[in-house]
Amino acid sequence: MAVTDADVPPPLLDIPKAKEKKYDRQLRLWGIGGQIALEETHILLINSGSGVTGVEMLKNLVLPLIHHPRLRCGVGGRSRCELLHGRCLAWQVPGSRDGHAITEPLETFITKDDVFSPYNLIVAAAPTHANILERIQTHSQTLHIPAFYFHSVGYLSSFSLLLPPAFPIVDTHPDSTATTDLRLLRPWSALSQFAKEKAEGLEDGTISAPDKAHIPWACLLLHYLEQWKQQHDGKVPNTYKEKSEFRNLVRAGDPNEENFEEAYAAVLKTLNPPTAPSAVREIFAAPETQQLDAASSAFWLIANAVAQFYAKHEQLPLPGAVPDMKAQSADYIMLQNIYKSKARDDCAEVVTSVRELEKQTGRSPKQAVDEKEVENFCKGAAHIHLVRGRPLQIAHAGQIIAFGDRAKAMASELNMPESLIGLHIAFLAWDEYVATHSTPASQAGGVGLKVPGSGADDFGIDTQRVTGIAHKIVDSLIKEAGTFVEDPEYSEVKDRVGKFCMEIVRAGGGELHNIASLTGGLLAQEVIKVITRQYIPVDNTCLFDGVASRTQVLRL
Amino acid sequence: MQRRDRGIAQSLGLLLTKCVKESRVLLVGAGGIGCEVLKNLVCCGFGSLSGTASSKKPGIVVIDLDTIDLSNLNRQFLFRKRHIKKPKAFVAKETASQFNPSVDIDAHHASIFDSQYNVEFFETFDLVFNALDNLAARRHVNRMCLAANVPLIESGTTGFNGQVQAIKKRVTECYDCNPKPVQKTFPICTIRIWAKSYLLPELFGTSEEESADVAVTEGDSADELAKLKEEAEALKNVRRMMGKSEFAQEVFNKVFHDDIERLRSMTEMWQSRKAPEALSFEGLKAGSETEIIEHGRTLAEQDQAVWSVQDDLAVFTYSLDTLSNRCLTGEKVIEFDKDDKDTLDFVASAANLRSHIFDIPLHSEWEIKQMAGNIIPAIATSNALTASLCVMEGFKILRSQLGSVGGKEEATLGGAKMVFLNSRSTERMITTQTLAPPKADCPVCSPVYAKLRLRNGEGGKATLQELVDLLKEKVGYDEFAITTEAGIIYDPDLEDNLEKPLKDYVTHGNGFITVSDEGDEAKVDLVLSTVAHSGEDAELQLLPDSIMLPYKPKRESPAETNGHAKEIRATPEVVAAPTTTSSAGAKRKREADEEAESVKKRVMASKSEVHVVDDDGAILLDDD
Repeated sequence: MAVTDADVPPPLLDIPKAKEKKYDRQLRLWGIGGQIALEETHILLINSGSGVTGVEMLKNLVLPLIHHPRLRCGVGGRSRCELLHGRCLAWQVPGSRDGHAITEPLETFITKDDVFSPYNLIVAAAPTHANILERIQTHSQTLHIPAFYFHSVGYLSSFSLLLPPAFPIVDTHPDSTATTDLRLLRPWSALSQFAKEKAEGLEDGTISAPDKAHIPWACLLLHYLEQWKQQHDGKVPNTYKEKSEFRNLVRAGDPNEENFEEAYAAVLKTLNPPTAPSAVREIFAAPETQQLDAASSAFWLIANAVAQFYAKHEQLPLPGAVPDMKAQSADYIMLQNIYKSKARDDCAEVVTSVRELEKQTGRSPKQAVDEKEVENFCKGAAHIHLVRGRPLQIAHAGQIIAFGDRAKAMASELNMPESLIGLHIAFLAWDEYVATHSTPASQAGGVGLKVPGSGADDFGIDTQRVTGIAHKIVDSLIKEAGTFVEDPEYSEVKDRVGKFCMEIVRAGGGELHNIASLTGGLLAQEVIKVITRQYIPVDNTCLFDGVASRTQVLRL
Repeated sequence: MQRRDRGIAQSLGLLLTKCVKESRVLLVGAGGIGCEVLKNLVCCGFGSLSGTASSKKPGIVVIDLDTIDLSNLNRQFLFRKRHIKKPKAFVAKETASQFNPSVDIDAHHASIFDSQYNVEFFETFDLVFNALDNLAARRHVNRMCLAANVPLIESGTTGFNGQVQAIKKRVTECYDCNPKPVQKTFPICTIRIWAKSYLLPELFGTSEEESADVAVTEGDSADELAKLKEEAEALKNVRRMMGKSEFAQEVFNKVFHDDIERLRSMTEMWQSRKAPEALSFEGLKAGSETEIIEHGRTLAEQDQAVWSVQDDLAVFTYSLDTLSNRCLTGEKVIEFDKDDKDTLDFVASAANLRSHIFDIPLHSEWEIKQMAGNIIPAIATSNALTASLCVMEGFKILRSQLGSVGGKEEATLGGAKMVFLNSRSTERMITTQTLAPPKADCPVCSPVYAKLRLRNGEGGKATLQELVDLLKEKVGYDEFAITTEAGIIYDPDLEDNLEKPLKDYVTHGNGFITVSDEGDEAKVDLVLSTVAHSGEDAELQLLPDSIMLPYKPKRESPAETNGHAKEIRATPEVVAAPTTTSSAGAKRKREADEEAESVKKRVMASKSEVHVVDDDGAILLDDD
């Protein structure tokens, strides 16, 4: 069956029928856990400008049933807000009509102390005043609420994710091809024994032809590995050359049978030492894993326990799934059971460590880690992922924008003709223009934000201004990185940035519906990833160039 | 300028904005991608100034055959619960029109294969968007767009992935230039297919029911086939008992006992594997008939659980009873539909019973639904993204039609690309690939296309002889063959059909007739798209009136055949590319395609038995 473990979400036991049917197509992607997370989400959208992108995003979130989107409009006053509200409801599915618009002026709304606490995700549309962005950033960092900030102007768009400093993901949905882990190089006794039985008589030719044709390929590989080891001082094939040689040894066993062919094809993919990927080892070494306390989240507790397991056994807990292979039903089921029972044993060992850690850290029994969670972690241990959230780059009038430890990497991006770093800088310059040109009345938000190119005769002068700011950012980035860019490269860099500036000024802050729709799609997609804690989200800025139809993700 | 237009005009520029507004576009499909494309088209003002003031035509035409289902509502945002069972095209129009009242949408609840959508219909558009969910319709629209020489934007999504391809005759690859990967098959599905494509049709369908997803395995022994025929015959007899109280028991014992015993008796099949264990109704049942049916009804609600064998028997009995009642109260044919719960209950329980017999793990109904129903996961975001990419390509194509700007060399189709969406990835969410030039040996886009107008399909009197004469006169053929959907109807050795009326072969007004040169130095194929007319025009008319076909490019010495381009409209501007196969090759390919089609049709449930236990002895299992 082609639907593998990785693709099949857990069964949905508690969902009412009609609802299950309605969400059938998406449940097949993110499962009931993801669906519940979506339904418990409260989103605050601080919309701005013509607001199409924000509304398109909401539509994409309301459809898969995020129950309570809150709409908050920064610019355009009451009527615009209500209009957006109306359109949002028009797009809303029945039964989730509790999304509502907040029409209170942004400047007073934002100053209240616990204004963000009802929400678990905030999305802000550019232009948003720098002070308000700062406020959002502070709230987001204090409360560990993810926040998004996006631009959508003409053919161009971008968005940045502000995630908590540690955002771990267990359910990364790796490609099903990447999840096969049979541990053939480190078989345990039950597996070796089974393989030995199945390959009995293979060498002396006493095995019957049908039996030979039904030796599962995993067993064939184990059999030939034993043979290889005997001929190679107990070593397993390691280099590509050795593996190719080994492959031929397998095929020579019987060039005509399908199971031998399967075994031959599986050699390169499956004969890998069970070393944990570097990203996983980094998680094991992370301070959060190493320094546990009573308040540590379950993820870190399990990570510590799995790290102990890894240190002891030099391999991760076994996932336990067995891919399709030609075999007799009884044999296949037995093989499955061998893997499942080893996976259960591994998991049980991790659970024991977790319980031990709970005791050591003085965790309250009410907060005991769910065994299911441990099981899930063990299953996907090789693919867990940690995103380290980073702050937004907020442009203030006349201030230098710092790139920090990313300065070197971003300065080298500047030199790549295909890179979209220029677009990011153009949007930063656009933001700084807005910050510089906002009227006193708008210092705290509300009406009065002026975007480049919005006036009838602004195009020429605003292009110059925005390009000027952008070039200043380029220079300070190069300086911060401690490098030099010489002509002609330097002029080319400035040219590329200048073209993006001209393009965004030309659009005059107007959204092209189609690009707004696309950006709203990308945003919603990432919101879903963040809320369901499944799949790996953008880290941390996504840029889209509609002229070339391509995206790039930069870590800023 | 209206406010809504400001953003558009500022981004696109005045020239392209005007072109967008004056365009006329066709959208085929109003499902997941279709709803989103329609919204984007409407909001970007496509077709808001289509046609002249005196003869204003709707700027957007949307065609969809489907009606709205509950499971559409998680992504097809133009629809609401109250619209369930209503035609998608009509509701999509109604909702989308509100976004921009200046756009006139013409909605058709119809199949794109219908005769009214002939090549002349396609010719009235500047752009066609495909938002379809099946291969056959995609290929058909591809062909129609080639025949009408209208640019096509093809798209599709699966889960988090999407793809958009711009297609223009003689400029880019067409949809059929590359063979399409065969849809993922589930080995274990053989059991499901047995239940879905053999048992269900045998009991509730017409017995010649064909199923596209059954594949042939080679080496099926004649004995086994004969056995199956016999079994099918016996099943027909059982079918006559429908409505009687012992119907369920009869069917059950027939397929899960008698047939299995017969199979088991073929001892040579079971030397290297476990023989199937027959089940008996009496042995399994618990309680009276009505109790079982009631029990089954309750169980059928629990589609997440894996039923026990007794449970399967109960659901089987219950669904058989429900389907029989439907059959007896007028439904002539009941086909499998993943959203028809009764048929799903039947298939799930029957498949599980059979799995049990062959000692294969049982599945919950929910899992079986995915396997049997070819369900493709679908979400709102992928559709929204793919649809925006479609319309983006639309802008580029329209821009290319404005001609080169500023003397610059225009990129292919205004810079249109093959665009890939992979929003599950974090690094490369949207990527592009340059559009490839057409494959010179593509059986679909390499021929020359022309139109054949026939007087009203049904009433027309023209014979095949008249077509042959017309082709000889107007195209200068000597030896040639004529092929329609029905196969070869004429070649130098096949003259039996000459006196028959053409309408016998071209029942739809929008079919294709392929004419292939059989001479030694063969010319490229000519594809005639038929158009039925009821006017005063001639009985049979070729458009353009005279056609000069270029020779097929040869493998060794690629011919430069641009010479004819000026003389006739239908001649390709660029015909040859260095790597082409011989004419026979192209023909073989076409024949192979047709062969594949007809094999698909021939294959019937008869094969399914052999699938379950196919002849090399493997019983493939899923990994649970």
